[in-house]
Amino acid sequence: MTLQWSPFWGLYARELLRTFRNPFVLLITIVQPFMWLAFFGSSFSAAPASVLEATFGTSNYIQFLLPGVLSTSMLTVGMFGSMSTIQDKRFGFMKRILITPTSKGLVFVTKALGSATRGLIQFPIMVAAALAFGISFHLTALEWAAWVATLMLLAIGFCSLFLAITARSTDWQTPGVVSNFITMPLMFASAALFGAKYFPSWMIAISDVNPITFSTLLGRSFVLGGAIDWSYFGYLAAFAGIMLTIGYVVSSRWLAVE
Amino acid sequence: MTDPAIVVRNLSKTYGSGDRAVRALDHVSLSIEPGTVFGLLGPNGAGKTTLIKALTGITDITEGDASVAGFDIRRNPREAKARIGWVAAEVILDDDFTARENLWLQAKLQSLTNWESRADDLLQYFSLKDRADDKVSHFSTGMRKKLEIALALLHQPRVIFMDEPTIGLDVSTRRMLWDIVTQVHKEFQVTVLLTTHYIEEADALCDRVAIIDHGRILAEGTPSELKARVKADIVQLETSETLDPAVLAAIPGVQEARAQGNDWLIRVASSEGFLPQLFRTVRTDAIRRISVEKPSLETVFLEVTGRRIGEEEPMRDVRKFYMQMARARR
Repeated sequence: MTLQWSPFWGLYARELLRTFRNPFVLLITIVQPFMWLAFFGSSFSAAPASVLEATFGTSNYIQFLLPGVLSTSMLTVGMFGSMSTIQDKRFGFMKRILITPTSKGLVFVTKALGSATRGLIQFPIMVAAALAFGISFHLTALEWAAWVATLMLLAIGFCSLFLAITARSTDWQTPGVVSNFITMPLMFASAALFGAKYFPSWMIAISDVNPITFSTLLGRSFVLGGAIDWSYFGYLAAFAGIMLTIGYVVSSRWLAVE
Repeated sequence: MTDPAIVVRNLSKTYGSGDRAVRALDHVSLSIEPGTVFGLLGPNGAGKTTLIKALTGITDITEGDASVAGFDIRRNPREAKARIGWVAAEVILDDDFTARENLWLQAKLQSLTNWESRADDLLQYFSLKDRADDKVSHFSTGMRKKLEIALALLHQPRVIFMDEPTIGLDVSTRRMLWDIVTQVHKEFQVTVLLTTHYIEEADALCDRVAIIDHGRILAEGTPSELKARVKADIVQLETSETLDPAVLAAIPGVQEARAQGNDWLIRVASSEGFLPQLFRTVRTDAIRRISVEKPSLETVFLEVTGRRIGEEEPMRDVRKFYMQMARARR
């Protein structure tokens, strides 16, 4: 396998350029996590500070929630990546790509990385929104970079997962159906919205292997301070690597052209 | 002697399996010389698009071999695809991009360097230079088609596949595209394989034509060669009274005359010689309708398939008529 740099760059750049050319996609990408922060994040604003401290380790729930919302929104990014691929199949653009020396595997890689990168647009917007909600950040440059890299790895993993599952599909509705099956369990059985300490044992078992939990806890340790467990980063890197490999193999073999 | 631009040997393609298997291509063999415009003429569902998909490497081949520009499409797909241009039936461009950005992306997909001057030349050639930086979603259908052909030519391919390039176009845009295909073929010295179900398109554009139906190539040759297969004019006659076949058969030049009721299909050597004789033989007030069909790709198609290209089901009597006549000639 040799990496075709020229088509890689062309397709990757296309993914990003199309995002900025399509205000609706951009708006949804930004607004959805912002809504979570504004509405869900405000749901504990009237709770006594002592209760919040005891439950979440901070008196500001939004500060607790921010890393979790950013992590769960990477699931949505995967769904958009899958929808974009199905759009290319239905409008014939996949044929235009594949009637060139470009391989199916490369199409998959650019979709996964392009969609994941697109998802990171949310990061500066959400941080700015959190600042507006009164959150203060005390991260080092390394921690900022590590937080972005954490989310990137998570997004690559989920984009790859979605793309692998929908590789053969040309139905617009498939990514939505897959999203419903994946998003809800992974979002709620994780430490993203609440701590896992009050979960039943079966949910703890899911949460303990859920990449969203690892991404959330790592992000939370950057935002709230405290000990940073860098092994979580390794876990997420492995998750991204394995999903990328599976997606590459599946797409190389089974990616539908139309 | 130059190698053929496209070689297809015994190529079959079956979709599905078991009881639901559909054979879209059935042992197709073709050899297309470089520099020609080759037409695949057939009705919808004949297998034209499937053959293009097989030759461009986007569908698997069930059986047989195919090579394009000297490269086996299964064993060396990248090398073959680097020498292929493609124009779709429906225009396929990235509507979020400008014309130049679409060319840029195509250049990236083909790993081209120094593509800009070539792109400028193509934009100039197709009169799109003034609109190069406009989003293609604002382009007319004709402009979009031109840009699609420019994309197909950007990497200087040896072969361009055009899948029903004029389907759905209005008459003037279709004519414009015919001119473009003719010019492009000469100017850029590429082999063009186009599919069409328009008889007049195949006749006007193609150096050679293959008639395809139900996944099989039924006839192949230059339009003149194919027309020469039908060595007669066809006269269709409807009368208000019963005619004696012997009377018609006695008219000089009549090769075959068959009737279903009072509807006649008469094969004659020359309709110009036949019609005056007919009017002397049959009372003109007994003739309800009469039409003459000169040898054309339409009559060739009718002869080899037993039906007209737009007809979904064969007209049994006409099919029988042509089949019997074909057998009689052998």
